[in-house]
Amino acid sequence: MLAESYTAVIARGEDWTDGSATEPYEASWAREAAISLRRLEPAPVSGDASARVQISLDGLHWIDEGTTVEIPSEVGKIALARLTGFPGYLRLVADMADGDSAFMLATLSLKA
Amino acid sequence: MNRHAIDAGPREMDLSRFDPLPRVMFYDDFNQGMSGWTVLTGNYTGSLRNMHPGYRQFTPPMLSNLTQWDGGTHGGLSGSYALKLATRPDVGAQTVSLKRLTFPRACTMQVEAYLTFKPEATELELSDRDVRSFGFVLDIQTKQHRVLPQIRYLNAIDGALANKWQYKPRTTVFNDVGDRTVTLYHYGEENWVDIPGGYQTLCYNEIPTKINWHYFRLGFDIRTLRYTELQCNDLVLDLSGLEMLKFDAMPNLNNLFNVIPFVETDSRKRAFLYFDSILLSGDW
Repeated sequence: MLAESYTAVIARGEDWTDGSATEPYEASWAREAAISLRRLEPAPVSGDASARVQISLDGLHWIDEGTTVEIPSEVGKIALARLTGFPGYLRLVADMADGDSAFMLATLSLKA
Repeated sequence: MNRHAIDAGPREMDLSRFDPLPRVMFYDDFNQGMSGWTVLTGNYTGSLRNMHPGYRQFTPPMLSNLTQWDGGTHGGLSGSYALKLATRPDVGAQTVSLKRLTFPRACTMQVEAYLTFKPEATELELSDRDVRSFGFVLDIQTKQHRVLPQIRYLNAIDGALANKWQYKPRTTVFNDVGDRTVTLYHYGEENWVDIPGGYQTLCYNEIPTKINWHYFRLGFDIRTLRYTELQCNDLVLDLSGLEMLKFDAMPNLNNLFNVIPFVETDSRKRAFLYFDSILLSGDW
């Protein structure tokens, strides 16, 4: 049987500001994940913007996984990160300059 | 014993806990993968901002092994994995998942499932009033009509236990979302009506991290556009006299048959709906 794969859109047109977090996504079955970010609308950018990958065993208590993904400053660019060895849950937390915002598409592509 | 027979044995035992109609359209136990269950994307044109806010809140389904912070992995009824729907943590937040198909011939179709529901275990409290409801929608179009049979188990509302099955007999208004596209958000709190005889207390258990599986069955006759029966464990309800959301047939939806479970929270906690397995059968 082919290995399972599944792409979940974990931010489907959401306005991110500093501290915005995606909903917990459970993926204990997956061995690897690719996270991609796309900005869907142009917006003024006054500083660096990225998303921190966080992991959790129970979906309640979170720690930084260590990977960060750039939030593209322009529409049309894609940022990508690859992960392995994570436990049950994944989410993204935005780190952005005060006052900045981004209308985002974030996808999580998982493989067993 | 050949390899096929070895593989077939346990699966046949799995199926014996169902009561399917003669033909099985699908049987998903979620131990092999998501099996075609996906997020519901509301209609929109131009920008995702134009999607109805009810649909924008929907989150993608997951495969869960029901791991709890205090008890570890709970697992499914069969195998380790279950399909999981999770709302956002806002009072009244809803989410759905669906599987899209078409019916091969107008007939009675029947959804069966082993399911359970729980709030997110963010408090060391009983939390039995935190999930508002779970339910099923069937989205069906015949040559003349589009119908949306829709039932739910109302667990609690406004912080009070309700413990009853309800259906939605009337429609709401369509909203335009673009040139030739309309949307209808029919999951809202409006127009729910109690099903006669539909009071039922389900096994919640005693803390939010213990779960128990429930048998569920819902039938619908596409020829007559009537429900048949609703069953949850030992409660069986005749729904054949009940009305449903009904419109004239719409373009591009011939023979539509979508199966759409949903869950909603009554608190500022995520509500979870898990399916160990779902089986769709018919008598065509």
